[in-house]
Amino acid sequence: MKILVPTKRVPDTDQKIVAAADGLSVAVEHLPFVVNPFDAIAVEEAVRISERSTDTEVVAVGIGGEGYDQQLRTALAMGATRGVHVQTAHALDPWNVARLLRAVAEREQPDLILMGKQAVDDDANQTGQFLAALLDWPQATFASRLELLEGEIRVDRETDHGIETIRLPLPAVVTTDLRLNEPRYASLAGIMKAKKKPLDVIAAEELDVPLEPRVEVLRYSSSDTKRRGERVSSVKELMERLEAASVL
Amino acid sequence: MTQAKTADVVIIGGGVAGLSTAMQLAGRGASVQILERERLGNGSTGRAAGLLGQLRGNAEHTRMLIDGVTIVRELEETAQVEIFVPTGSLRIAEVPERAAEISALVEMGKSIGFDIDHMEISEVARHMPYMRTDDLIDACYCPTDGHLQPAELVSAYIKVGKQRGVEYKTNTPVTEIMVDGGRVRGVRTPEGEYHSSVVVNAGGPWSYLNAELADTVLPTAAIGHYYLTTRPDANHPVDRLSPAIRDRQLRIYTRPESGGLIVGIYDEEPELHDMRKLPVDFDMSRMKAARDSIQVARLIDAAHQRFPWIDERTPMTITTGIMTFTPDARPFCGKMPNVEGLFHCSGFSGHGIVQSPAIGLIMSQLILDGASTYDVESIEADRYFDMPGYLKRGDIESKCVTMAGNYYGKVERPEPVAGAQSA
Repeated sequence: MKILVPTKRVPDTDQKIVAAADGLSVAVEHLPFVVNPFDAIAVEEAVRISERSTDTEVVAVGIGGEGYDQQLRTALAMGATRGVHVQTAHALDPWNVARLLRAVAEREQPDLILMGKQAVDDDANQTGQFLAALLDWPQATFASRLELLEGEIRVDRETDHGIETIRLPLPAVVTTDLRLNEPRYASLAGIMKAKKKPLDVIAAEELDVPLEPRVEVLRYSSSDTKRRGERVSSVKELMERLEAASVL
Repeated sequence: MTQAKTADVVIIGGGVAGLSTAMQLAGRGASVQILERERLGNGSTGRAAGLLGQLRGNAEHTRMLIDGVTIVRELEETAQVEIFVPTGSLRIAEVPERAAEISALVEMGKSIGFDIDHMEISEVARHMPYMRTDDLIDACYCPTDGHLQPAELVSAYIKVGKQRGVEYKTNTPVTEIMVDGGRVRGVRTPEGEYHSSVVVNAGGPWSYLNAELADTVLPTAAIGHYYLTTRPDANHPVDRLSPAIRDRQLRIYTRPESGGLIVGIYDEEPELHDMRKLPVDFDMSRMKAARDSIQVARLIDAAHQRFPWIDERTPMTITTGIMTFTPDARPFCGKMPNVEGLFHCSGFSGHGIVQSPAIGLIMSQLILDGASTYDVESIEADRYFDMPGYLKRGDIESKCVTMAGNYYGKVERPEPVAGAQSA
């Protein structure tokens, strides 16, 4: 079985993110970059599947510029079999990423594409869905549980109305949600083995996908995070202030 | 710009060092202003495991830690909060060098009347059913050791400090230390100036940058640290009061935490952090380890050797933070000759939580009396002042990294106690 795991390289959104001075991007100086947390969950799930059944190949894919090799080595250290770095300096958006991933999928012929439901930098939640449509494959998004059966997959999806369980024939696209698993940290053995695992680099042009941006970023601006609250000294004062503000 | 505020003492840093010092100073009637760049107790303090091993290689240091527990007991009464968890501690040895360390420690401890003794490995196994013991050749047990809960300690320092009139300002970085003719006269922040003839640099990993604001070289460095916390596992129950463990050969320490186990490592190749190259408004409590961090991998590997049920797939959180190390792992407490009124209080090298109760007292004595009732020679701030090899940032960092890397690695030889006497 072959599982393709697209992974995105994103800033660590637990630290403060501010707009760059020119407003055209996010200020990245000194900002740590990480594997998109939902993609790390996808890598973990794929690695667990490969640990349960021999003969499973987990291929981690990254699309972008410098730094992606580090990203993919992380996926390899977690247990992926191989890495593919699609190199491009082009600005990307979910539509174009999905088109590039389709080209990779046509080369790799995976049985399953497992990826994060969204990236924490743009929260787009589109790429998996676009990709399934482009490939004309069934999709299951927001997966909180995955069960591989013969030629098909059973997925619990987290929805606003509760858990929906669906069955899809393979090949399929599944996007991961938070509760699917807890990704591991690489073991010493994993880190050492990763150095010898293949990491292929392809120029995006080789995939023959003309990149047509559909999203144009107009401006990034930082929100004002200064707290506008005020401390009061007692419940009595709180009540007085709420009454004065006609809230009560 | 708002009008300048005045206080008897301005303290840069709202971690345990600054908070303890503030509380003690205010208890003696001083007006104290704490200036914290982010949130109180949210730096190194908030990442600490708080293990308390009272018996150190030096008798005075031991005395400070033991007295610290007395201060903590008083704080527990006043603030009505449990800070000290009396788990006792076990030091274990799997090779002859470490067994020799243990024997020397037991001998030294007994000579000062400290409660410590060798423990049979079979009894160690009974205390620690979830730990591998078949390779151990010696162990010693200190029943009066345990750990201090950092969050509870912080809240107690603040509660008592507030009662005594300490003022706290958060989200307020200090951008300048104002010095006139060799005397400090206050600090500058984006919110305005604070005037004082005494300023305390309790900035933890940032302390060397604070010192530079006053043209002073402070030989501290910011060293990365890691520990894991396992989730409670019904197959491997960890009793809340099971002993803390120190396994110096594997470079790990452990203690119980919320039904799981904390395992921390003093890695042989720790990371050095450049505190000038941090994200905007850096929040240490949200620092993450890289998924393929070699230090984390070594931590898990060492943990696995002592606790075979722990491996990279065990449900756990990895906590990473920054410690402030010095070339000899002893803090800098006091003044330097070049600036009157500027007191340094940092460099606790992974033992800030447990040293903070006594250090706060010592700092208040140094500031208000010019001297301390403790022998502070080993923690004097000026012990490397103007010393070649301790002037350039690169040299200082290299020495601190070496110290941190050897912290558990080097075989310890406790200092001989001059004339064995009961404490």
